[in-house]
Amino acid sequence: MDQERAWIEQALRGDRKAFGQLVRAYERPVYNLTYRMLGDSAEAEDAAQETFLRAYSKLATYQPGRKFVNWLLSIASHHCIDRLRRKSRAPQLSLEEPLPPKWLESDAPRPEQVVGKKQERERVRQVLDTLPPDYRAAVVLRYWYGMSYREIASTMETTESAIKSRLHRARRMMAQDLQAA
Amino acid sequence: MGGAMQCEHNEQFSLLMSLALDGMLSAGEQRNLHQHLAGCPICRAEWEAMQQASLLFAQSDMVGPPLGFAVRVERRLERQSQKQKRTFGGLAVLTSSLSLAGITVAAVLLIALAALAWSSLGPQGTSAVSQVASSVGLMGKGATLFLTELLLRYVTPLLAVAGIGLVVLIGIWAWLFAHRPGSSQRNGYV
Repeated sequence: MDQERAWIEQALRGDRKAFGQLVRAYERPVYNLTYRMLGDSAEAEDAAQETFLRAYSKLATYQPGRKFVNWLLSIASHHCIDRLRRKSRAPQLSLEEPLPPKWLESDAPRPEQVVGKKQERERVRQVLDTLPPDYRAAVVLRYWYGMSYREIASTMETTESAIKSRLHRARRMMAQDLQAA
Repeated sequence: MGGAMQCEHNEQFSLLMSLALDGMLSAGEQRNLHQHLAGCPICRAEWEAMQQASLLFAQSDMVGPPLGFAVRVERRLERQSQKQKRTFGGLAVLTSSLSLAGITVAAVLLIALAALAWSSLGPQGTSAVSQVASSVGLMGKGATLFLTELLLRYVTPLLAVAGIGLVVLIGIWAWLFAHRPGSSQRNGYV
């Protein structure tokens, strides 16, 4: 933590090498988030890089009371949501009319089957891909980062009740897709 | 799903299922949920599907970036910094030019005002103003003819435009000073 603080202070004085140390320390959680959100490694890399560039330029706004990694994840999740909205890639699903799950349309194995890491990753991507960006971010922050509702709400700059609702709706969507199988 | 089968309490219990997956239910709520699930195949099927999706995520590891990610970020930062320096330089040159132009206009206006004052005082004028006007000679007199009418008619909008221009220039200079390359970022970080 002290080391992190020292790097932040140095980066605030314009030391890009110190910021590089912060990138090395947090590249994995940031990249994982962008990858889970965007589902494509090239896009995830670009979004993760963009997250760090934004973090560098906005470093002066970082409040030390907050976990630095959560601050980075907040930038990354907002950036990914914006990207997804711009691309309008998120399918417009309604609870009343669930579409068939994508993994059933492909040749990929079903979730219950034991398969290699790559296929498992692909399955996860397909499941996440059925969720709107806001729901997807809440699910990713909950499952991969073990964040509490409060932490997710703080990261996504919304209320705990909104997160509770998003997670519920996301799970319903995923469950309905699975049941449709 | 069993065709047209429905559960009128599904919405309520579905929320409890989601909270149960996050360990957010009280003992009473948990008991209530499991009692309902035991007797409701619709909700039970949804619960099993929710658990299945949760398990899928829980088993999925965190993915790291390809090798050399940090180096690529550093290169992008370097490129961005160079671009900012070029933009800063361009803006500084533009602002300097505008400032110089503003100073020139202000000087011309001052000379014209001085000449105006000199002509209104007449040949008896012995003040410093008239001496200044004399020193600019014929140029001041010539400018007076044109500018007298102009100034008298448009003095208010001219002053307003000059004031706004001055404020804008001061603003740009302040921004340039605050964002000059190499200046440290300031915040409440202790």
